[in-house]
Amino acid sequence: MGDSNVNLPPGFRFYPTDEELVVHFLHRKVSLLPCHPDVIPDLDLYPYDPWELDGKALGEDNKWYFYSRKTQNRVTNNGYWKPLGVEEAVIGRSGNKKVGTKKYLVFYVGEAPSGMKTNWIMHEFHLSDSASTSSTTSSSTRSSKRRAPKKIDTSKWVLCRVYERDEDHDDGTELSCLDEVFLSLDDLDEISLPNN
Amino acid sequence: MSISVNGQSQVPPGFRFHPTEEELLHYYLKKKVSNQRIDLDVIRDVDLNKLEPWDIQEKCRIGTTPQNDWYFFSHKDKKYPTGTRTNRATAAGFWKATGRDKVIYSNGKRIGMRKTLVFYKGRAPHGQKSDWIMHEYRLDDNTIDSTNVETTQEEGWVVCRIFKKKNHHKTLDSPVMSSVTISTDTRSCNSDQMMMFDSDNQMNEEGALEQIFQYVGRRADNCKEEIKYNNNHHNTRIFQSFNSSTDMNKHMNSSTTFTTVYNDNERFLKLPSLDSPNSTSSQNCYQPLQGSDPNNFGFSNHNHDHHQTEMITNWATLDRLVASQLNGLSTDQASRQLVCFATQPAMNYCSTSNNHDDDHDNHDDHLQMSAAIRSSSSSSNKPYHATHTQDYSNEMELWSTFARSSSSLSSSNPICHVSNASL
Repeated sequence: MGDSNVNLPPGFRFYPTDEELVVHFLHRKVSLLPCHPDVIPDLDLYPYDPWELDGKALGEDNKWYFYSRKTQNRVTNNGYWKPLGVEEAVIGRSGNKKVGTKKYLVFYVGEAPSGMKTNWIMHEFHLSDSASTSSTTSSSTRSSKRRAPKKIDTSKWVLCRVYERDEDHDDGTELSCLDEVFLSLDDLDEISLPNN
Repeated sequence: MSISVNGQSQVPPGFRFHPTEEELLHYYLKKKVSNQRIDLDVIRDVDLNKLEPWDIQEKCRIGTTPQNDWYFFSHKDKKYPTGTRTNRATAAGFWKATGRDKVIYSNGKRIGMRKTLVFYKGRAPHGQKSDWIMHEYRLDDNTIDSTNVETTQEEGWVVCRIFKKKNHHKTLDSPVMSSVTISTDTRSCNSDQMMMFDSDNQMNEEGALEQIFQYVGRRADNCKEEIKYNNNHHNTRIFQSFNSSTDMNKHMNSSTTFTTVYNDNERFLKLPSLDSPNSTSSQNCYQPLQGSDPNNFGFSNHNHDHHQTEMITNWATLDRLVASQLNGLSTDQASRQLVCFATQPAMNYCSTSNNHDDDHDNHDDHLQMSAAIRSSSSSSNKPYHATHTQDYSNEMELWSTFARSSSSLSSSNPICHVSNASL
């Protein structure tokens, strides 16, 4: 599993934008279109704990990606995912159209509601209804045999990105907090003082 | 699957050149300095003196997918044959190092260093800071020696990454968060939610704080005398001497950065007392404003009143407060505009947002007030106080004016306009 079928030079990795996850991966999955490269596995509703995802989900840069069925109660072997109640719109690259929704969840060890919070975070991507109907007229015929005709069943699949929150994460791709401070202090250097 | 960077085929969707620092140093730069062939031409050679950051962006594009960072090899050239300072000037500006170099480790072993640079437009020392940041990676000398490469020091290759600084306005009013729906009240936003958004760059290491304080302390020493002077002579000639050099633009930039950084840390959110040690008789305090009376600035002067603890302790609240005062705008709209105002270098906000001439001064006052809050807030720690005082002399002037007049403010107070001249 994982990125074994993609042979890229060092430094290239699966580092998708939210939009790519929704538009390229989730949308194609829902539309039953082939995904190339087919790197993200479908884990259905397997009750894997987040630390068990390695080797099962697509792992890259300490993040794990997999498709899953939509569910209200994401319960695993040793805990459960609790929604944060935060939703973010995923906006398409071209134009300002909303293509999907990103939900945040936190992993708790133990049984709800008395579990212990962990640093494991899940981003759960959902397709927008409008996004799937308007942009996939060709594939909508395919799903017309289902219960909801003229519409892809967007309710069925979600795409998950799981990672463990790292407090002092500095991979160099952003300005560290310390750098920010130094940077702002540089401003003060340039003010010349009268010598009293 | 094969890829070609500047050729026909492309990087598959979702994949990006996102090397670790170790890969940059140990794979790419090591190969470069030892003249080994690198399979793919993903990292180009760039002459830093000839290309502006925005040109580098074009030259170092990989594939067609959107990129947030760009990579290239560059020579570390010397400004003077004998000197150690490097010359990184371009036609439009120059790269200036900031902070301290960071050591890069690989499997617990030190392999190189990372230097952070900022691009300034214009010429030193009057350059205007931009959002372009460069990380310059160099291999340690011993790393190079161990690979038996002799030419490396002459070559002086470094590998660089440039990117545009994100304006981390870690308040929920920021443009980034504008599409976020939060089920709970934003003011009582629980730690989970804040944690989500601040997750990557939290400043919770004591070591980091210590470093900063040392750094600040060093700089602040020079200014202590000035502070004493300020405290004793509120707005006399020292302000006049500063007025000429005070630049609102710079002011907004720096205060914005402080906002950004210290949002993370409760310790920094407490606003300072506005009075100086020598003027306790006229303490100003301002209280959180819930209403939005357009004629009320939200600042009331209570003599001998100690309400500092009730002061606004959150920049988001503060932004909302100021925003709510902007005439004719809903809080949401206004705060978003305010963010724009704070992040854009140009100071044309006042003129563009005011449609009615008769409101103009009023708005300016609000903005001045907001600036004043920010500047004095940033000075909650002594060193900051020291350094900020000169920077924000205009606002200090405002405050001292307020301190003297214990009557509540009105928009027609002519003193409020004094500092507008510098705009």
